[in-house]
Amino acid sequence: MDILNRAAAKAEAAELYEELREGIAVHFNGGEIETAGSESVRGRALRVVAGGKLGFASTAGGSDEALLASALGAASHGDPAPFRFADGNGAPSAPVPVLDPEVEAIGVEELIAWGEDAVRRVNDEFPELIVNASLGRGTIEVAVRTSTGAQRHERRSYLAVSVSAEQIRKGDIWSVYASRSVRRANDLDRDALLDDLLRQLRWGREIAPPPTGAPPVLFLPEGVPVLLLPLTIGFSGMSVFLGTSPLKGRLGERAFDRRLSITDDGVIPFGPRSRSFDDEGVPAGHLPLVAEGVVENFYYDLRAAALANVASTGNGVKGGPMGGGGFRVPPGPASRNVVVASGAGSLDDLVREMKDGLIVAGVLGLGQGTVQSGAFSNNVGVGFAVREGKVVGRVKNTMIAGNAYEVLKDGLREIGGKSQWVFGGLSVPPILAERVSVVAQ
Amino acid sequence: MEERLREAVAQSHADYTEARWEEVTRSRVAFQRDQLMALESGEEAGGIVRCLVRGAWGIAVFTDPAELPRKIAEATHLARTASGHVKDPVALAPVQPVEARYEGAMKRDFRGVPLDEKRRLAEGYNKLILGFSPQIASSSVRYTDAWRKVVYANSEGTFVEQGIPDVTVMVAAVARKNGDIQQGFESVGYAAGFEVAQGREEDALTAARRAVDLLSAKPVQGGTYTVILDPDLAGVFIHEAFGHICEADFLLKNEPMRKVMQLGTRFGVESLNVVDDGYRPGERGNVPYDDEGVPWTKAYLIKNGALTGLMHSRATAHKMRAEPTGNARAVSWEHEPIVRMRNTYIEPGTATLDEMLHGIERGLYACSAFGGQTMFEQFTFSAAYGHEIVRGKIGPMVRDVVLTGNVFHTLQNIEMIGKDFVLEGSAGGCGKGGQWPLPTTTGAPHVRVRNVTVGGR
Repeated sequence: MDILNRAAAKAEAAELYEELREGIAVHFNGGEIETAGSESVRGRALRVVAGGKLGFASTAGGSDEALLASALGAASHGDPAPFRFADGNGAPSAPVPVLDPEVEAIGVEELIAWGEDAVRRVNDEFPELIVNASLGRGTIEVAVRTSTGAQRHERRSYLAVSVSAEQIRKGDIWSVYASRSVRRANDLDRDALLDDLLRQLRWGREIAPPPTGAPPVLFLPEGVPVLLLPLTIGFSGMSVFLGTSPLKGRLGERAFDRRLSITDDGVIPFGPRSRSFDDEGVPAGHLPLVAEGVVENFYYDLRAAALANVASTGNGVKGGPMGGGGFRVPPGPASRNVVVASGAGSLDDLVREMKDGLIVAGVLGLGQGTVQSGAFSNNVGVGFAVREGKVVGRVKNTMIAGNAYEVLKDGLREIGGKSQWVFGGLSVPPILAERVSVVAQ
Repeated sequence: MEERLREAVAQSHADYTEARWEEVTRSRVAFQRDQLMALESGEEAGGIVRCLVRGAWGIAVFTDPAELPRKIAEATHLARTASGHVKDPVALAPVQPVEARYEGAMKRDFRGVPLDEKRRLAEGYNKLILGFSPQIASSSVRYTDAWRKVVYANSEGTFVEQGIPDVTVMVAAVARKNGDIQQGFESVGYAAGFEVAQGREEDALTAARRAVDLLSAKPVQGGTYTVILDPDLAGVFIHEAFGHICEADFLLKNEPMRKVMQLGTRFGVESLNVVDDGYRPGERGNVPYDDEGVPWTKAYLIKNGALTGLMHSRATAHKMRAEPTGNARAVSWEHEPIVRMRNTYIEPGTATLDEMLHGIERGLYACSAFGGQTMFEQFTFSAAYGHEIVRGKIGPMVRDVVLTGNVFHTLQNIEMIGKDFVLEGSAGGCGKGGQWPLPTTTGAPHVRVRNVTVGGR
């Protein structure tokens, strides 16, 4: 008998999550391939409501009996389930495309060739640099079924490339990094990835003293998560319910600059975190979070939605705010693809316009601190000084600090025109900001 | 599984083959404010094989034990494919084959503790936090335990079976006043039984008190300070800023960095000694045998201020003509071993805290760590809270304390090393190369450093 039916016979309701991850990956260390690997991992998780109470258990390789016994055991000591599992209603009429057969056809030899190409192109211009790279592709097959009628199944492909280049000189070590993660082979622009990397390397040929005090700061897409990470927590319906979000009670309020619009979109065709349904089987959708500076919505999984007396927005994702937890962890509210609406102006325009300032292309210590308050204080891992509208070199030993909510309300000078996917699920343009303090040794 | 593993690696056609099979049981309880967010148990089993062919690695990760021989063939094939592109082949330093079994000790085996009791423990801590003050807006309390049984065999005849316990407790309080939100937390982690999770009431109250106190603390003023790091933060510093660059895999194919990290180079004051120790029973970084079957060592990274050793896997030891140190660790069966830390600490010196405070006109006492990150010589770490030091005395509390610097300069700038010493694992873990959270332990006495950059307004 199917485990879901057996669970439903012993409990009032049950939800089975099944995941099969299959893929290949290659890693380059010091400019040449070091490992080639494959994975084939099957995991399952079972949630039950028994005696009105919620229980969760997960397994890889374990028996149906053990999984069911663990979930029932957890439920016997659990709290009343504040929500119900997904039903079969609201199925998306046309599933969002997330599987590209061309990705599955990419072989180890091809990944190695791409890696070697990246190494060669960086070393052609910068022969002394150490180049590392990781390239991988695969599929994740997810099925969510509930005893209350939901039946969802989907295979999603991914193709990911990251390249880093390190310059090691006594007393002066630095490194730059660029990555892309896509679901469709055609969306992988390896030239653009290398252009990003090479641009940073060219900008960083010289060392320049950083501007200090409160200069204009241009966050490149790779640096924008400094400002966005607090928001991905602040917009969580659970943070709002618990009272740890500064946005609590501020729906409809203009909490941000009028030019700022942010959408959490789960159904962008082939978006890196797109899916037809979330990890609780609720159809994914398109959710405006900020429209012209006004707080429009918070995002919810089933539990947070029930506690707040609203409907799930299809944001039940395993692994919490940043996702990626796999079968082992229960779902929680998390963003899908976060899209910041772009403005106008090229990167060159923004650099020219800022006159004297700092470019932030990456930080150390992201997410360390009381993130939910919006406060940030980070070492500028990759940053450049701008003087009279020109990049004059990279900065060292430099810290930025501020509050993301304050910067995005009163410190927004300009939103750039060209967005880029960073951190797997954020589509962001460059942002030129004020009210960021800069300290250097 | 033992016989299957032995047989499969013996029959492999690769130059070298190893197979690891893990069976893990775990449970977790999590409260946020009044909500029981997680009450769960799980068990999982999975394996990884790693084959070396003509100097390149092939790897296969799987969950179906019947697939083992096929996975070895697959990893061999992948290694062979990669080996056609290798100019600088990987080779392994020789080690004596071992046959060993080891189990971590538990006073009270958490596998026999009912889930209900774990729940009540966490709930008790949670209530203490929530009841501390009306300014407490929310809380987060998490208990986790895991028993990891690891069976390892390689084609050189090594066979190791280990049972590794892991218990963590994290208590956090969120205080709120008007729009301001502050957080206090405490956490512990041990390779031990349920007993270490009990009796943590003081931690819960400390976390709550700190969150409330931080509401009235000023943000630290950015600038350059003489800083005294408390043992917790000094331990995180030595792990993040220095430990990671002593992991030899990072130097393996990086000639210029190997020159920077030349043994014998003077990195700090004469009284500075830094150790990575593989054998500390009960601590999270206790690794009697690493995931290449290599027995533990106590590795001095810095002795009397000079670089004396690095942490190695068999591959890095071969390349750098060193002895393997037992630092090849994998966070789970889903990953291959890479060079990682174990129990990493600064050995105690001779100064008292009073002696360290003496003579500081305007400085900073930085305490407890949110976490840290390093990029080569650049490091950053966040203190959970700090205090101003004014004319040799510990003054008012400050918040948002983030320290940054260049590790080589900072080690040179260490002025005094305390005689107190705390070795402690936290509930978090170390992340590297996509492998997180690896249980490690850090330790240090109080340490005084001049010329540290502190971010802020």
